Amino acid sequence: MPGIDECLLEAMTLPGARGAAVVDWTSGLALGTVGDAPGGDHETTAAEAAELARLAAEHSAFAPSDGSDWSEQETPVEDLIISNRDSYHLLRFVRTTFDSSVFLHLWLARSDGNLALARIRLGEMAGRLVLG
Amino acid sequence: MTTVRTPPPPRLPVRDRAAGTSANGGVSPMLSRLADERATGVLIREHGTLYLADGQVVHAESPSTPGLDVLLAARGVLDAEAWREAVAAAGARRRVGRFLVDHGRIAEGALELCHLGALYDAAYFVLGPSGSPTRFRYGAAHWLGPVHPVPVAALERETVRRRELLHRIWPDPATDTAPLLRSGLPAGPSVPLRQEAVLGRVDGVRTAADVSVALGRPAFHTLVDLRRLAAAGLVGAVPAPQPPPLPGVLTQPSADPDVALLRRLRDALEAL
Repeated sequence: MPGIDECLLEAMTLPGARGAAVVDWTSGLALGTVGDAPGGDHETTAAEAAELARLAAEHSAFAPSDGSDWSEQETPVEDLIISNRDSYHLLRFVRTTFDSSVFLHLWLARSDGNLALARIRLGEMAGRLVLG
Repeated sequence: MTTVRTPPPPRLPVRDRAAGTSANGGVSPMLSRLADERATGVLIREHGTLYLADGQVVHAESPSTPGLDVLLAARGVLDAEAWREAVAAAGARRRVGRFLVDHGRIAEGALELCHLGALYDAAYFVLGPSGSPTRFRYGAAHWLGPVHPVPVAALERETVRRRELLHRIWPDPATDTAPLLRSGLPAGPSVPLRQEAVLGRVDGVRTAADVSVALGRPAFHTLVDLRRLAAAGLVGAVPAPQPPPLPGVLTQPSADPDVALLRRLRDALEAL
């Protein structure tokens, strides 16, 4: 059963992975980090990514048509993808069995990152992290 | 920051500044010193306790926020019976967290996420402004055992960042501690579900801490949601009752308080 650190190390084995973090989007707290962060500061990156995740999680425009209840079996919003000229950011919401607001953040180099693969793997990791 | 040492007992209290930040940037000079000497034990402050092992924070508790047990019980992950069993089996060895994971009660990642969330949450209140002395009891350990230790410096940085975050959302701290009242404005569809849940518990009596327990949610999350609701004009603090006016000559109203004060001073001086 993986803990936070094992989960992050596994994320770093994905092709093109530059850095990864587990972040709480209500507080902006980085619960765990590995590798590099844009600008070199994981804590700032976590706080900024948390703002983005919060908007996606809370605004009804991004919710599925059957509502945005975060206490259900699946998270209403699954992930966020940002691409820029040299990298991808993938944010994957983690569904926990207790009240929380956690997501995985993976930073990928655009040259050798595989976004489709990373999206599938990150979803699997998010599930294993909380369900064992 | 130097601490005056006296032969115990009694030990001189180390009083932290009300603003919460000392010259070296830490929120508690005593805590930084304990981290430097890799101390093990429990730090007792006005608003809760921090458990240290080898200078790292392994557990935090505060009456201002629900504990790990409440958070995990709220959605039925671990009920009271499961906690009792785990504490009975592994409490004396201070390995309750490990026991829960090894016996399949909870996934390791889930325990770490919840525990870290609760630790930073409680620490925010423990490291808040304190009006009473800080004490440290060497050697004490918590029955949960280490789950995911946190460096003191990281905890202090996060605590300061959290204060700034709240201030940026809405600068009035009244909703953090006072009983809460809805403003009467309609909530509207723009209020997210998580904030709506908080709003639903606001009844003129409950405080942020009460709402957090009712929702099984870390209290800092509730503070954030309440500041957002206050910024939207939907929630406020119940105004503190005004103390009744003091009877007697000194509080008699006067058109010009300065003149009244000078007259009383003159009278008093003449009477000498």
